[in-house]
Amino acid sequence: MTATTIGAPAAGRRRVPSLVRFLAKRVAITLGLLWGVTVVTFALVHVVPGDAATANLSEQALNDPSVVAAYRAKWGLDQPIYLQYLHYLGNLLHGDLGTSQQTGRPVLTDLLQYVPATLELAVPSMILALFIGTAVGMFAAVRHGRASDQVVRAGSLLGLSTPPFWLSLVVLYLFFYLLGVSPSGGRLSPQFAPPPSVTGLYTVDTALAGQWAATWDAVQHLVLPVLVLTCLTVATLIRFVRSAMLEVLQQDYIRAAYAKGLPRRTVLGRHLLRAGLVPVITVSGLAFASLLSGTVLVENIFGWPGVGQYAYRSATGLDLPSILGVSLFVALVYTVVNLLVDLLYGLIDPRIRLS
Amino acid sequence: MSATPRLLRRAGIALTALALASTATACTAGGDAGSAGGNTLTIDTSFVVKSLDPGHVYEATGNTAVHAMYDTLLTFHGSDMTRPQPDLATSYRMSKDAKTFTFHLRRDARFADGSPLTADDVVFSLNRLRNLKASPSVTVTDLTASRTDAHTVVVHVTKPDPNVPVILTQPYTGIVNSTLVKAKGGTDGADAAKADTAQKYLDRASAGSGPYLLDSFDASSQLVLKANPRYWGPKPRFSRVVLRNMDVQNQKLTMSRTKGTELALDLSGRMLEGLPSTLQRSSADDTFYFLTLNADPAVSKVTSNPAFVKAVRASIDYAGVAKLFGGNASPAAGVVPPAYPGALPKSEAQHQDLAKAKQLLADAGLHTPTVQLMYPSITYRGVDLGTVATKVQGDAKKAGIRITLDPQPLSSFLNAQRGGKVAMRFSPQSLNYPVAASLVNNLAPGQGTAATTGWTVARADKKVVAAGKKVDATLDPKAQQKALQDWQRLLNQSSPYIPLAYNSGVVVASPALSGAVYAPAGWQVDIAAVGSSTK
Repeated sequence: MTATTIGAPAAGRRRVPSLVRFLAKRVAITLGLLWGVTVVTFALVHVVPGDAATANLSEQALNDPSVVAAYRAKWGLDQPIYLQYLHYLGNLLHGDLGTSQQTGRPVLTDLLQYVPATLELAVPSMILALFIGTAVGMFAAVRHGRASDQVVRAGSLLGLSTPPFWLSLVVLYLFFYLLGVSPSGGRLSPQFAPPPSVTGLYTVDTALAGQWAATWDAVQHLVLPVLVLTCLTVATLIRFVRSAMLEVLQQDYIRAAYAKGLPRRTVLGRHLLRAGLVPVITVSGLAFASLLSGTVLVENIFGWPGVGQYAYRSATGLDLPSILGVSLFVALVYTVVNLLVDLLYGLIDPRIRLS
Repeated sequence: MSATPRLLRRAGIALTALALASTATACTAGGDAGSAGGNTLTIDTSFVVKSLDPGHVYEATGNTAVHAMYDTLLTFHGSDMTRPQPDLATSYRMSKDAKTFTFHLRRDARFADGSPLTADDVVFSLNRLRNLKASPSVTVTDLTASRTDAHTVVVHVTKPDPNVPVILTQPYTGIVNSTLVKAKGGTDGADAAKADTAQKYLDRASAGSGPYLLDSFDASSQLVLKANPRYWGPKPRFSRVVLRNMDVQNQKLTMSRTKGTELALDLSGRMLEGLPSTLQRSSADDTFYFLTLNADPAVSKVTSNPAFVKAVRASIDYAGVAKLFGGNASPAAGVVPPAYPGALPKSEAQHQDLAKAKQLLADAGLHTPTVQLMYPSITYRGVDLGTVATKVQGDAKKAGIRITLDPQPLSSFLNAQRGGKVAMRFSPQSLNYPVAASLVNNLAPGQGTAATTGWTVARADKKVVAAGKKVDATLDPKAQQKALQDWQRLLNQSSPYIPLAYNSGVVVASPALSGAVYAPAGWQVDIAAVGSSTK
């Protein structure tokens, strides 16, 4: 009792600093990681064959050394690589990601335009995938070895091995061409003008502007790409959920719970689901980060102007500021999502919180 | 009761609601079929656009839009390439030496801001284009413009060129509002390549006198035009035009179901198969695909051997290559596509002759020569270039030639091509402007493409050099076409180029449209000429 009384405040004092220490450590790691990303991306862009001037200037301009020199000076390409890098890093510290050679706009402006488009696809896809993946994976684990389990496993394998572009074309063929119940692509039908940008999410911005017909149209345009992304993500989740749940099902405390006569749904819901969620959260985090990083092929087929398409155009145009901007964004997404995943572990599993 | 089953049950309810909502969506969504109706024209195309500044525009999508926003001195109507027609210029006169061209401007043309279009705007626009040294400037390096009075412009070239009027139909020679563009940082001075900063503005707004104005532009999703209320010509049929960035496969599906006012620009070759017969199609063979073999022995001892070039030429199954493109594609006879005057007749198309190929190799002492074929790993006009390269590889193998394929990303291909160190390459080629004689300036020994192929005047057959000069020196159009044909026949005998096939650009339009004609002039379709067939 005495020891507890003495120890409790001491533990309390340690607890707050340890959380701060944890977060500070993660922020430091994130900053280091972002720095590493800039170094590697910068180096890679200069190593690959191709030259920004060749990619962006005309034949005639390339034959005029003064024009090439002016182009290089404008974009800082005439400086040694280490100076280019230091210059970039200096601007980055002031929040300046540079100007895109392709769009002529600040990279940050481009990202603020394209990220919401990707976000509008990624969030509903992830939410749907999480619910479906968890429910179906759990169902398969409980029905382990039976025909329904085999069907789920086969379906999951099929989903994993389906190329995204193929699935996109199939759903377009089915829902747009054959059934005629869905729009073919884009974020809005041509007769609707894009809404005034508030959040960048068309479904939200059209509603905020009171353009309800456009809101409904934006929702319709979301259905097919979200369906494809959900299918692809669900396939991964099902396998992980099933595997994690199977492991938990073999634990003694599950048998004990059954032996105590607890109802099946209590065992499954309270003991099985909660214990099996930790690895699921890990893979969900990675899947969400992957969705946010842009799904080039899906965005391309559905004419969805998101991060994936922006990254593709930047890479083919050797647009260094944009490539770096996208790389930093992707790195940031992964680190933030990982941080959230780590924090979620503590919420779900008390053992992790205590440790 | 535990929280988790409750959570699961709520999730289930939410999912059911979502599924119902999705079903409702599916049931009520009419597809894009109805969405392209009304007073909006929808154009589906896979975007190739970097800039909408007439001084910088060079890519297909940009040309289509810029042609609708900016008037030019002359123009072409539909697919008729025989003679430029009046646009801003009501008439023009060419001097006998084909060096001076006098244009008389119409007096009622106005820019969108209401200011009159004068000779000063024309002079500024053409001189700015030349001095920007951007991609399209290459066709006007020899051209200077000056004014005689407010409505008369004189264009002068130092070398005789009867095709100047054709060049002045191109979207990049679009006339901009000089006062506005100067205010936005534009200049036509000699230092424009470094000093002009108007591109940023012209990528966001239009400064022309054309039938349409730029409403919004996003290079990755859509480009929206709106009708110019002050347009001096016939009022455009559509108040709004939306060019949508759309994957080619999706274009096919979309056009298969469209019931509105919609057209697609990238469906050609095999992509046309299976489309409903109710859709309108308009096409013209305006592109050729060719192999280029480096003539510089320092780059490749194999490809620089004329006997090897002839052997490759004889080994190819041209009809088989053309079949890969489907549609209206045909085996190439020369480098000038059939859409333009000066093309060789189809009867002169190349044929496979494996015995000849083997004999040529044997005579030259070449035993299983090996060479690498570089090509851009892209799909162009619905055809994967890798498929064509593989066919070439297979044909050459039958003659005893070993070709290894070297697909490259487009930017890497262009970079390598420009470096002039590629032994053998394969790519599509279109004309810089719709005059077949322009190919001489690109393909003749020592010129653009020839220079990157190591084909110098010293390495070329004197007859080929002379034939190219004759094309340039011939001022009469008919005689020039004859000279072009002679030049191509010589190229087929002695040059590093092997034309494989011609392919066409196609406009696929819904039945509700009229005037949706493919324009080989450089802008694919004249948006302002597209109307509704159901008035």
